[in-house]
Amino acid sequence: MDSNVIETTNVSRSFAKSIAVQDLNLRVRRGSIYGFLGRNGAGKTTAIKMLVGLIWPDRGDIKVNGVEPARFTVEDRWKIGYVSEKQILNPFMRVDALVHFTSSFYPNWDFTACDRILKRFKIDPTKRIRALSLGMARQVAFMLAVAQKPDLLILDEPAANLDVVARREFLDEVLDLLREDGKTVLLSSHILSDVERVAEEIGIIAQGRLRISEPLDRLKETVKKVRFYGFEKGMNGFEISDAFNFSRTSNEVLATLRVENDSQLLKLAAKHRCQYEVIHLNLEDIFVEIVREPKEPT
Amino acid sequence: MFIHLNPNSGMPIYRQLFQQLRQRIVSGQLAPDEQLPSVRDFSAELGINLLTVAKVYQLLESEGLAETRRGLGTFVIGGHKTRSLTEKRKLITDAVEQVVAEAQHLDFEESEVIRLIHQRFEETKKKS
Repeated sequence: MDSNVIETTNVSRSFAKSIAVQDLNLRVRRGSIYGFLGRNGAGKTTAIKMLVGLIWPDRGDIKVNGVEPARFTVEDRWKIGYVSEKQILNPFMRVDALVHFTSSFYPNWDFTACDRILKRFKIDPTKRIRALSLGMARQVAFMLAVAQKPDLLILDEPAANLDVVARREFLDEVLDLLREDGKTVLLSSHILSDVERVAEEIGIIAQGRLRISEPLDRLKETVKKVRFYGFEKGMNGFEISDAFNFSRTSNEVLATLRVENDSQLLKLAAKHRCQYEVIHLNLEDIFVEIVREPKEPT
Repeated sequence: MFIHLNPNSGMPIYRQLFQQLRQRIVSGQLAPDEQLPSVRDFSAELGINLLTVAKVYQLLESEGLAETRRGLGTFVIGGHKTRSLTEKRKLITDAVEQVVAEAQHLDFEESEVIRLIHQRFEETKKKS
């Protein structure tokens, strides 16, 4: 089988005149947890909807489990679990009735998973959906997606409205899915500290383009903020063309850049006769540095 | 095993776990031949991705601090005495590279650096 569950090539999609996704090349490896990040309106949800076949791309090629979403059969859909950003569940149904109802659409329905997840999240199955909190309703939607036994789970903002403890429980459940069954999970979230705990690969989308797609460990080890100071001969001509972010004051320069090895910085500092200090960044810092519009020079 | 991980630090989780385990092995808190938890159990206990734990065990092995015994699990080897000559050479080469890079950055002559290293050797000899 293909090592990539998701593979898109130069996928673009516009709505009227606004470009939502542009030349998206997304690769998600089988058996990994992929954190898909972006600001509101960056194109995340549009990209996800194209992956599950809810909307079509204008251009480009999408393969999920080796199949183009436009050609998905029912069997192909069984293999993809999807919790949308605004999942709507019938408010008048009891949780157990909803489980029963949904199970009839899927041949491999996993009732034990339902019981386990309801217990884990402490949700009373005899309650009606409208009686649940927003967070609990999200957990029910997640449970329904897991119980269909997909090999790919696509979760769009699954942890919104969950409290801290419930989020931790949810993350443990996601990790268990990977641990027990080797499932692939694509997770979009604004809660970067959660993504940081579980994801192996990170994709960052900004203005419809995928700016970063690589292992989280590599991202943290190579994207650094560096403060250059003590310029002996002034800082004229000091530029770093491929920096993610670059700003200067009268006597120092602050740059966010990819540092593959220390000698790169030593050479730079030697050339411009200055000192430097490396500041380590966590995922949230890196995210902000990459997606923030460059500040106008003052 | 009590391990403190902070997923939101600038240091990758695998590196935090690796450093804590290495420290415990080198200091003898984890004794030679002691079995480490399985990748599956340990990742569940720590609430992290199991591939992260697998990566750390691989690193410990490559540093000669642990070994996988087929079908049994991962075990501590213990101490630095077990390092091979090539491993030792690699460690010292890394350190030398850093010194040379720093010297170039600070505009030191090669002979001056060699003189300093020699001086340092002499000092430690006197002490011991």
